[in-house]
Amino acid sequence: MEIKSLKPGTNAKLHTKTGDFECVILESPNPEIILVKLNSGYNIGIRQEDILDVKIMKGKESKKEKNKPIKQNKNLKNIALVVTGGTISSKLDYKTGAVKWLTDPEELLEFYPELLEIANVKKITVPFMKASENMDYKDWKLIAESVGKLCNDSSIDGIIVTHGTDTLHYTASALSFALKNLNKPVVLTYSQRSSDRASSDARLNLMCSARAAISDAAEVMLVGHASINDDFCYALLGTKVRKMHTSRRDTFRPINAEPLAKITPEKFEAFTSYRVKNNEKTGVRANFSGKVALVKFYPGQDPEIIDYYLKKGYKGLVVEMTGLGHVSTGESSSNWIPYIKKAIKSGMTICAAPQTIYGRLHPLTYSVGRELEKTGIIYLKDMLSETAFVKLSWVLGDKIMSRDVKKNMLKNYAREYSDYIKVEDFLN
Amino acid sequence: MEYQKFGFKSGLEIHQQLDTKKLFCNTSSFLRSDDPKYSVRRKLHAIAGETGEIDEAVKHEASLDREFIYQGYDSISLIELDEEPPLAINEEALEIGLHIALLLNCDILPVSQVMRKIVIDGSNTSGFQRTVLIARNGYVETKDGKVKIDTVVLEEDAARIISREKNKTVYRLDRLGIPLVEIATSPDIKTPEQFKEVALHIGDILRACKVKRGIGTIRQDVNLSIKGHPRIEIKGFQDVKMFVATINKEVERQIKNLNSKNLNSEVRKANPDGSTDFLRPMPGSARMYPETDLPLLFISKEQVDKARRNIPKLRSNIREELKKQGLNDEMIGLVLGEGKLEEFKSLIHLTKDANLVAKVIVLWPKDIAKKLNKDIEEIYKKLSLDIFERVIKESVKNNLSSSEIQDVLTKIVSGLKLEEAVKVEKKSLDEIEEFVSKLVKEKPGLSTGGYMGLIMAKFNGKVSGKEAGEILKKYVK
Repeated sequence: MEIKSLKPGTNAKLHTKTGDFECVILESPNPEIILVKLNSGYNIGIRQEDILDVKIMKGKESKKEKNKPIKQNKNLKNIALVVTGGTISSKLDYKTGAVKWLTDPEELLEFYPELLEIANVKKITVPFMKASENMDYKDWKLIAESVGKLCNDSSIDGIIVTHGTDTLHYTASALSFALKNLNKPVVLTYSQRSSDRASSDARLNLMCSARAAISDAAEVMLVGHASINDDFCYALLGTKVRKMHTSRRDTFRPINAEPLAKITPEKFEAFTSYRVKNNEKTGVRANFSGKVALVKFYPGQDPEIIDYYLKKGYKGLVVEMTGLGHVSTGESSSNWIPYIKKAIKSGMTICAAPQTIYGRLHPLTYSVGRELEKTGIIYLKDMLSETAFVKLSWVLGDKIMSRDVKKNMLKNYAREYSDYIKVEDFLN
Repeated sequence: MEYQKFGFKSGLEIHQQLDTKKLFCNTSSFLRSDDPKYSVRRKLHAIAGETGEIDEAVKHEASLDREFIYQGYDSISLIELDEEPPLAINEEALEIGLHIALLLNCDILPVSQVMRKIVIDGSNTSGFQRTVLIARNGYVETKDGKVKIDTVVLEEDAARIISREKNKTVYRLDRLGIPLVEIATSPDIKTPEQFKEVALHIGDILRACKVKRGIGTIRQDVNLSIKGHPRIEIKGFQDVKMFVATINKEVERQIKNLNSKNLNSEVRKANPDGSTDFLRPMPGSARMYPETDLPLLFISKEQVDKARRNIPKLRSNIREELKKQGLNDEMIGLVLGEGKLEEFKSLIHLTKDANLVAKVIVLWPKDIAKKLNKDIEEIYKKLSLDIFERVIKESVKNNLSSSEIQDVLTKIVSGLKLEEAVKVEKKSLDEIEEFVSKLVKEKPGLSTGGYMGLIMAKFNGKVSGKEAGEILKKYVK
């Protein structure tokens, strides 16, 4: 019996050098190892060379319930889901032990049926299924178009976009800029713990997202755990939010801003003013440019990095600068000023954003900053560098806006700039 | 009771905490009694297991829709809080697991996979317990033949329950993640007496390994059924002594039960009086699926060989070895009882007299403690291994008597330096010589035996016969 021909799911009795195993064959991550599930439920590996004999056994058919139609409740408002991938739309394939995308987005509702007690899920759109670290500006456009269509669908009260966490705050910014005259809630949400766990954060995140989606806030909001407690979520402004922890469920924090609202599964409680739901037609302006880069300045960095992007044909660069907005200049062995001047002269846009994450740039406080400011760098005040990167891509990709990059970069399109920063807006 | 007549089938499951850091995170595994620093509120929801069905036990727990409060401390990390993926398995815990498996004559699995066992009573923040099978097919010998060891598993202990109200349960996170070894026998134990024997034997093996001691660090569960009755698991035996009484009562209960229609496999709790109460339905294998945050666990031949080399000796084997070295039963008892085996081993090369070593390091310090009305720990603070070594060397060199050695030890305990304590004894040799020379002058012509009698009577144990004889030789030809 050729062992390699054993398909995952086969029941077999393996006679090996160290005894017999009655088991089910699983998909193995390692070609030399046969991974099996024993009757006790434990999985173990057996080396190919240790197997002396194989007997195929008749297995029990596992019951698989057919998908039931999503239940609808006339008394509830209607929402739509835009499913894009990420942990929240993946599940464990128990047969093979691998984590895979949901083959059927309706499965999401089987995992989290509580969502349906808050709103009817009327439509589910799947523009693609990706891990968010694999997304780029073209995907932002696809999501924006899916959402835009649902915005102008009068049967839908609000939209939930499910997404991987790694680059969720980039997409949140992208939608904040791309959706013009927004007429209903657009909620982005996620999970840090997979759906196979009884502890998954997706349950509360989805319930609160549904609550936000049926609210009257016509905003792009990122909704997720406010703390590590499973009690309430925050709705955060799409342009003022950042992933701040590799694994915690409350990883998304407001930066230089306060949360837009506190949400429990029962209640949407606003902290700030917001754009109210309306009957305008929502437009989509989502021609993002791929020729934009984000560079983090570090001590001693060779300014030739600017030349590299220039030669590659990049049109814009966001530099994460130190302190109030600095890179190394005259007294340093690596003086950035000549390179910056050259790039700007060649038509490249160079923007500055704070690498401290929190706070606002003040280029005129120190002489270094004054010198840098004269080169034509656009200082983006308290805008997050990730938001700045997305915005520069948006402005440069748009035929009209790209005619006056500076004016458009400094214009407050989606609350990416705060009027002032409050004490409590730090480490919140 | 004639157990065979009823088709009695039963097996034992032992859970023992290991004395290491936690199994999948780098935090210490001590239990806290001070007030918690913070608490976290969580909920769990029922999820379909591997087969697409929700497990019976899981359904039972989920129907209770509870809120869970987890108490945390500075000794708790994000991993226990289900806020960070697990680290690789603790190497020391794995090695101890291998020691135990080898002592139980098991085959070690070269490749295994850490599994998640769904538990949603809240005792695990993640909603599952991490568990990994490391060995199988072992045995222990009993008077009535071999009892097979089915599996040896390493797994995480659960959080400690602090209080339970109607819809709210409070847990403390200090115990969550402490490594447990789970040993399960085959259901081939034939009588309650054999049960006790197997439990004691496994207990002996566990005590030889680096495991935690004290109440709550070991838990024994019993699986049993009679013919026609589904398997029942009894949890929470506080005392091995209750095995026989509890099993007898359970067999009686099952016999009575046989006529009823709805017989279910269930988990029951052992009460101190030998009776049992229903706890929850029996969990199925549907509860297990892979821990996707960790790669396959490879246990190399080198790891197994290393474990084999460092395998701890069982107490019964140690006794035999000590006997061979010439230690009498009383001293063996003292050395093992006081936990001075390592000290004994490191000093035995200094003298052929094994019992002397035992007396120096255990018996006499105990006597001194009693005489001075002090705690033995206080005595041992003064009598370090280094002091013992030098005292034994001195006593061999100068052929000190038992009472002299005791004197030296007492003086060291009372604050004298070793050199001084021993010097005093040497000065006393001069004293003896002075006495001997006077004695021979005053009472000339006595036999050697006559002089010896007088010398020994005068110095009563403070001088050895050999020393007295040598001094006497100088004056009597």
